[in-house]
Amino acid sequence: MIRTASADAYDRRYDAMAIALHWVTAILIVANLTLGLSMVGLPISPRKLHWYLWHKSIGITIFVLTSVRLTWRALHPPPPPVPMPAWQQRASSLSHAALYALLLLIPVSGYLYSSATGVQVVWLGWLPLPDLVPKDKPLADGLKIVHVTLNSLLAITVCVHVAAALRHHFIDRDRVLARMLPLARPSEPLETPMARR
Amino acid sequence: MMLRRLIVSITLAALTPCCAFADTVVPGKSEIAFTMKQMGVNFDGRFKNFKADIVFKPNALDQSKAAIDVDLASLDLASTDSEAEARGPQWFNTAKFPVARFTSTSMKSLGGDRYEIAGKLALKGITRDCVVPITVKTDATGNRTAEGAFVLKRLEYKIGEGEWADPATVADDIRVRVRMVLQPGG
Repeated sequence: MIRTASADAYDRRYDAMAIALHWVTAILIVANLTLGLSMVGLPISPRKLHWYLWHKSIGITIFVLTSVRLTWRALHPPPPPVPMPAWQQRASSLSHAALYALLLLIPVSGYLYSSATGVQVVWLGWLPLPDLVPKDKPLADGLKIVHVTLNSLLAITVCVHVAAALRHHFIDRDRVLARMLPLARPSEPLETPMARR
Repeated sequence: MMLRRLIVSITLAALTPCCAFADTVVPGKSEIAFTMKQMGVNFDGRFKNFKADIVFKPNALDQSKAAIDVDLASLDLASTDSEAEARGPQWFNTAKFPVARFTSTSMKSLGGDRYEIAGKLALKGITRDCVVPITVKTDATGNRTAEGAFVLKRLEYKIGEGEWADPATVADDIRVRVRMVLQPGG
């Protein structure tokens, strides 16, 4: 089935900017989930304050990067889908849309949560951002639940995303993953992705 | 704690006769608040309980005086966690030093409604000179509102020791604001 598709469909890769934004975001997501889960249990200490500062700064950065990515994507459409069953196509569109939405909503929920607890967000400890809502304990409690829930959804969606990429690469042996890898060459032989190892 | 409170109360009661002409501090409107800066972020706090013994006579500043006892454990911060931390040994150590006391030594006019109060601030076992510029405004009912602000260098009083001593985490300068609404005594 793969072989009947046009060469264009599996030779075309994401452009360098899209690839860079994808992987930087990926690293920041893993870092921030880890940081977020580790920092909440710490006793109050300078370390805890620093971890919170970093967590919020990375979150804001992810929001900005995702906005840039969506703009870039609108101006530079991604390569056409690699041929695959229709259900996979639908699932991939859906999960990508969910990832983009979560990457925008989670920082916003965290930002609002911080404002509601009365802690101003200062990006990298250098750029003070305005408090979007006044200090409000019940609102803060609600936003905490929203932030944690959205992050659980993100963790699940990322797992599905990674599992699908690996499945495409190692089982379906198509170019879904390769076209997003920074070092893969556009004209690599498609039929032997395992042979390189 | 109870014993210390009792001693403070008895001391204050013993002082009362000399303060027959003391102004009455209007509780709901008076405030002792502060702003601290933590990694670039301002945090506001205040002390809910304090006792102020104030005699303010604009025409007899040498007879005027102010003594304010602040119940440090009554501090109100962003979260209960940070309040607990601030009461702890590295910060105020309220178990050992429950009260901060400001005692005026002199008052002078700076012209107009501006005055300067010099005094001693005793905090966490350390006593230092403290100068507070204030403005005093009198409203239609005769009540006076005295407002003052000064910068307290927290490290001079060992507020925030050990791992907290680094001013890059919590700035040394704590901006303290005091507002006392007074019903003049006599």
